[in-house]
Amino acid sequence: MITKYIGRSFKRGCIQLVRRPMYFLLIVIMPILCSWFLMDLIKGGSVHLVPVGIVDQDNSSMSRLISRNLNGFQQVNISHRYNNFAEARDAVQRGEVLGFFFIPDNLEELALGGRQPVVSFYVNYAYYAPGSMQYKGFKTVSMLVNGGIAQVALRTVGLSNEKIASALVPYQSHVHMIGNPFINYNYYLNSTFVPCFLSLFILLVTAFSLGLELKSGLSRQWLKTSGDSMFLALIGKLVPQTVLFTAVGWFIQWMMFRCYDFPLNCNPWNMLIAMFLLVVANQSFAVLMYCFAPNFRYGTMLCTLLGMVSFSFTGFSLPQEAMYPWVEALGFTVPIKYYFLIMVDQALNGIDIYYSRFYYAALIGFTILPMLLSWRLKKECMNPVYVP
Amino acid sequence: MAEKLKHSKFFLWCIQVLRVCGRELLLVFRDTGVVIFFLVLNAAYPVLYALIYNTEVVRNEPIVVVDDNRTPESRDFVRRFDATQEAAVIGYAANMQEAQEAMYNKSCYGILHIPRDFGQCVGRGEQAHVSLYCDMSVMMRYKAYFTALSNVTLALGSEKLDAVVEPVLNMSGSIVESRQVPVGNPAMGIASAVLLFILPLVLQQSMILGIAMLHGGSIERRRRNGGRDPMAVEASPGATIIGKMMCHQIIYTLPVIYVLHYVPLMFGFPQNGDILHIICLAVPFIIAVSLMGQTLSAVVNERESVFLLFVFSSVIFVFLSGVSWPRYLMSRLWWLVGDCVPSTWMVNGYVLMQSNGATLYQVQHQYWMLWLQVPVMFILAYLVERFINRRRYRSWIAASEDNPNILTRIELAKNGVG
Repeated sequence: MITKYIGRSFKRGCIQLVRRPMYFLLIVIMPILCSWFLMDLIKGGSVHLVPVGIVDQDNSSMSRLISRNLNGFQQVNISHRYNNFAEARDAVQRGEVLGFFFIPDNLEELALGGRQPVVSFYVNYAYYAPGSMQYKGFKTVSMLVNGGIAQVALRTVGLSNEKIASALVPYQSHVHMIGNPFINYNYYLNSTFVPCFLSLFILLVTAFSLGLELKSGLSRQWLKTSGDSMFLALIGKLVPQTVLFTAVGWFIQWMMFRCYDFPLNCNPWNMLIAMFLLVVANQSFAVLMYCFAPNFRYGTMLCTLLGMVSFSFTGFSLPQEAMYPWVEALGFTVPIKYYFLIMVDQALNGIDIYYSRFYYAALIGFTILPMLLSWRLKKECMNPVYVP
Repeated sequence: MAEKLKHSKFFLWCIQVLRVCGRELLLVFRDTGVVIFFLVLNAAYPVLYALIYNTEVVRNEPIVVVDDNRTPESRDFVRRFDATQEAAVIGYAANMQEAQEAMYNKSCYGILHIPRDFGQCVGRGEQAHVSLYCDMSVMMRYKAYFTALSNVTLALGSEKLDAVVEPVLNMSGSIVESRQVPVGNPAMGIASAVLLFILPLVLQQSMILGIAMLHGGSIERRRRNGGRDPMAVEASPGATIIGKMMCHQIIYTLPVIYVLHYVPLMFGFPQNGDILHIICLAVPFIIAVSLMGQTLSAVVNERESVFLLFVFSSVIFVFLSGVSWPRYLMSRLWWLVGDCVPSTWMVNGYVLMQSNGATLYQVQHQYWMLWLQVPVMFILAYLVERFINRRRYRSWIAASEDNPNILTRIELAKNGVG
């Protein structure tokens, strides 16, 4: 009997999927296209050659050396030279350059006379990533100026090269960037943003396909095909989508880890299973939202809102410990957070799966949660009311 | 003369425009879904977003120290590291394994390792080494540790340099002082950087969603009424588009001022732009977005499919505007795609105004590009309205005359019946 109901419910789910081209567009085409968009956009890897300006009021051999050195850096690219401060400021305001290096007049004279001239660099942090890169470049070059003068001075008094090196850089720091040694922006951003994008699609499609039953008033018939069992009805409706989304998710992972060489330091199965669990957890999450708000408009809005905001409150860009505690707590209410933590532990850091056990469990937990509340959805399905 | 004017084609056309505008206003305020998009979303979403990022910067990022040296020098180094605003030492670990364990359990996100010969090297005047291991899952963590470490090594380094150089050059302090002046976003916070990009985008997306939902409602009415919309006003395609556009302009007056002026005020984001200049920039933006919304809404077949079709585009548009990956590094293709979206120009103009205090004159490039989009979008909207939408309505009317139930039956079939 049950197999008959499952079969009927499943058939209905498949027919609905096939008859609306929009589903195919949003389950298969758009997620892959959007993932490719994000990965192709940032394929350069790191922010470099930030267009900056230089104001050289000294025009001495030293100031020219500075600007030559600065242009030699990978981080910045001196695209414009300005005669004075006002011109440079105007260029920053027009967006022509993202910052500038200011060399005052008499720099060389004051420096050699030991009267401490000041060079300043104006960094536009309105553009965050280029701002940080500019700072790196500007800071290093101003250190080098100091070092250059000191080196000449120390050599004239007869110090050895080793002594000079240790006097100039007495503390050498070595920074080890675990898992992403090139500070590749693509690896960092897209290993989280792309799955988050996919989960947005999953939430939207699930919410839409549930809501459509309520809207069209066919929800009672939907329940009838599966023998008045909400569980079977949901299985029939969502499993065909699960299959497609999982296939798309795995394809996206293949793109990430094979085509774009994202770090994958674990057994690939750990990530493949995580992706499958992410798909199911997100579908269940959408069902859960419908159990809370069994109404097409509010159910879908809730899914949309959480799907969009999860790009921010799950701590991909601002780390969770830096957020307000309530925002941090909110982050743990969406499935993508756990996928993100699994990704960090497994793919990026390659640590033992033991440390990620709770995250896998949480994703499974999301799947169970709506079963407890499905009576609310069932009640609504028996008496569907559509509020436009 | 007045009589002549009354019967002139232009006058009748203007009347049509006003009637469309009035009807559109009525439809908007009768529809809770659209009111949510046009007003509630604009009121609430920027606030929610700002609250998420409002802490702006990373402070006291936890780190574990493995000190194999245990000398006054190494302890001094760790003390200074702990004293930076970016990092906080949460404890010492006996060895690297123990520190790793702390990192795996997410008690900390970095390890500072001081090797055995650290104190000796400092004492002998040789280069001393320290190692920082950091988790790369979130860039801001790495940035915090990196900044803390480089500030400590530079400060300690310049003290030592002074000690060596002072007897030679007869001066203390560095030879050339350097000073960073953060402009635009003096707090160097992420909220001040990201939110200004998001705000105009919220306006654009809410408007597109609302317009598409209105269109979806109209399509549903047509489906029920044999291809005719009882709520629609008879008007030429041009008058329909311009009338609707006027309605959107009227409704968006308040959201534009609230989102672009008051939200930065509420959260203390950079607000160096002149409100009048910002409004001037927003005028072509709102017109272009309204026209773009009317063009895009042709793909909508029911009210709720707007969620599916347009919500995700926000992420694409935000990336195209250059918030996290700068536009000058984008490939030619994505650069051009970005050029076609009104938000790209609006966002960049708005950020320059609010962060760097640019005037309208200084962002004239963005301003004119927005005006350039207006005729282009109008032509697109006109073509879509005239050759896709209206043709479709006519075919529906013709089909319904043969079989009155055909449209609802097609819809039912799509829902899996029959």
